Amino acid sequence: MSKLLEIKDLHASIGGKEILKGVNLTINEGEVHAIMGPNGAGKSTLSAVLTGNPAYEVTRGKVYLKGQNLLAMEPEIRARAGVFLSFQYPVEIPGVSMTNFMRTAINAKREYEGKEPLSPREFLALMREKKKMLELPDKLNNRSVNEGFSGGEKKKNEIFQMAMLEPCLSILDETDSGLDIDALRIVAEGVNRLKTPENASIVITHYQRLLDYIVPDFVHVLADGKIVKTGDKSLALELEEKGYEGLSL
Amino acid sequence: MSEIIIHSGERFEQVYLNEPGLDLHFVQEAGSTLKIHVLNIPDGTSGDRDIEISNNIVVEQIGEGCETEIYALAHLQGEAHVTTETHVKHAVGGGKSNQLLKFVLEDQARGRFIGDLKIAPDAQKVEAHQTNRNLLLSETAEMRTQPQLEIYADDVQATHGASTGQLDESALFYMQQRGIDKEKARQLLVGAFMKEVIEAIGEQHSAVREQLLNAIDGVVE
Repeated sequence: MSKLLEIKDLHASIGGKEILKGVNLTINEGEVHAIMGPNGAGKSTLSAVLTGNPAYEVTRGKVYLKGQNLLAMEPEIRARAGVFLSFQYPVEIPGVSMTNFMRTAINAKREYEGKEPLSPREFLALMREKKKMLELPDKLNNRSVNEGFSGGEKKKNEIFQMAMLEPCLSILDETDSGLDIDALRIVAEGVNRLKTPENASIVITHYQRLLDYIVPDFVHVLADGKIVKTGDKSLALELEEKGYEGLSL
Repeated sequence: MSEIIIHSGERFEQVYLNEPGLDLHFVQEAGSTLKIHVLNIPDGTSGDRDIEISNNIVVEQIGEGCETEIYALAHLQGEAHVTTETHVKHAVGGGKSNQLLKFVLEDQARGRFIGDLKIAPDAQKVEAHQTNRNLLLSETAEMRTQPQLEIYADDVQATHGASTGQLDESALFYMQQRGIDKEKARQLLVGAFMKEVIEAIGEQHSAVREQLLNAIDGVVE
């Protein structure tokens, strides 16, 4: 089992305000890590910093992806190297079709890996296969990215993109928020089917509910910019029962 | 100035692609339809970077029940400068007019839109819409918008809107997070902005429409 991601003493701020205050976390291939914590703890900041969101500034610390300095890479290079974020609020892009968007993304990744671009026929076959897995409608191809999608469709579309791009590290940021139980099941089944011994996931969530479907190997509690407690899946149940206040830290 | 009369019940649609300037005067008789597309989208090679173009479009609806659609798109680089003026006059009632004008300005490019809309005192039941949307891709690009509405009839529907903005940063980051480099992401967003105008070109001119859409998508089928 080899190290996929190493976060060492990570500090980050936005607009001069420090949000992450020394995060340490190691993720091995094949593992699922849940990150829970109260509002404002820095959960979304962590996902933004790992993906290179320019709104945030890293002030201290290191992050390595398969031994490479992740923080030195442009956002698109991190993505091509296999870091994928399922956005809490997927962005609507009117006028850019899912087909055009997805083909540009997948061929950028293939080029980075030294592979030939997919032919239109191969690409469309792959789209069809993955759409079916997420129970997304056929007409998705011609629709603009996320435009007019319901909350559930947007989240399914995130996991669909994850299925298309086959990342080595998936970060699911509050993927369960705004989902009804059927959509939650489809999304979670999608995530579980994409799991391999070589990839890993970080599941950021507020609630235990999602973890009934996506079972984590580790649960971390992030509070005030630091991981304050780590346990197995029973920690999530304990949090559900006692709340963050009741946690003996 | 060339004057074009569109006779009763007739339909006229024309695409003006990269013309060095237009001075057109349309007179519409009852029940006629006019649809024009004014596209200033040079490919950005050296000679195009300092062009100065002036488009003057005058439309008079002199008969009842006319329809007018004006679409204009300018994508300019370097020090290019395009001024587009529209003068739409509803002299009689029951007519419709719709205008959509977009400018995409890079570098030090400048755009100017003067939109003059008149609805005469007796021209009741007119529906007139004018929309101007602009995208500034540099700090030094400049857009000036001057809508002039003169509405003398009371039973009409008339709207106008103008907005000038930059590319959506959150959309750029979303695309980068999927592995698309920033320059390509910009191209996709600019293309999406421009397509709305191109897609309005009707079937009669579908060849040029598809050619322009494919150029925007960078299609390599």
